[in-house]
Amino acid sequence: MITLNHYLILSAALFCIGLFGALTSRNAIRVVICVELILNAVNLNLAAFSQLVAPNEAVGQVFVIFLMVVAAAEFGLALAVILVVNRTSDISAIEAMRKLRG
Amino acid sequence: MTQQAVFFYVYAVVAVAGALGLVLAKKLAHSLMCVFATLVAVSALFLLLGSEFLAAMQLFVYGGAVTILMLFALMLGGSAAETEEKVDPSVVWVAAVACIAFFGMLLFTIGEAQWPLAPSAPIDTAAIATILFSKYLVPFEIAGLALTVALIGSIVMSREDDAPESPAEKAGGDA
Repeated sequence: MITLNHYLILSAALFCIGLFGALTSRNAIRVVICVELILNAVNLNLAAFSQLVAPNEAVGQVFVIFLMVVAAAEFGLALAVILVVNRTSDISAIEAMRKLRG
Repeated sequence: MTQQAVFFYVYAVVAVAGALGLVLAKKLAHSLMCVFATLVAVSALFLLLGSEFLAAMQLFVYGGAVTILMLFALMLGGSAAETEEKVDPSVVWVAAVACIAFFGMLLFTIGEAQWPLAPSAPIDTAAIATILFSKYLVPFEIAGLALTVALIGSIVMSREDDAPESPAEKAGGDA
């Protein structure tokens, strides 16, 4: 029998893998994809809670929809930033971002 | 083992394997394909949870749009997008230890917690639509606005030329 804990553990595993990737990757696109993976883990978590804790209100699923919207907006903007940085500098995007520290 | 459990474990293994592939693959194109597997597996898990609308959205938004967008970014970025300098091994170790510790902490918390479980009932799409367009109408509109702003912002940012265009070019539309 699949319980809520199964989904929570899977979601935690995806979250931690995504976190590890975002922390260790030196490629800007890969970092953004890892953040997407983290958001996906959160989505799974919300959907599982919505289904197994409060199935009579669809609130959790509505939150998942909003999260998808925000993630899509964030993803598009991040890719645009990476494209611009890649175009304007010959070093990788992450190194170029480091310059922004001043 | 019930049928549901079998499917859950299959999808879970695919999702975790894809995520590991994303992190560990040498080439960015390979990690894109790996994360595609993860996204589709998560969509299947939504279906297994009984939320078919979320499954469809996950397939459309992540499986379709986001994956294609990632491929576009990879191709438009050219060689600069593929470059990946070596990361310090000590950083990798610290990050691995931190992530595993965090995972352990989450496992402990999940094991300890008591959830007010309710008997599972299928949530149909009509219920989502009702609550989305009544109680959450304002957030819905704001989300649409945010998406529009982000879209316009990324188009403006990623345009090739920052110089003002000639009127003829403007009439012809942007690339």
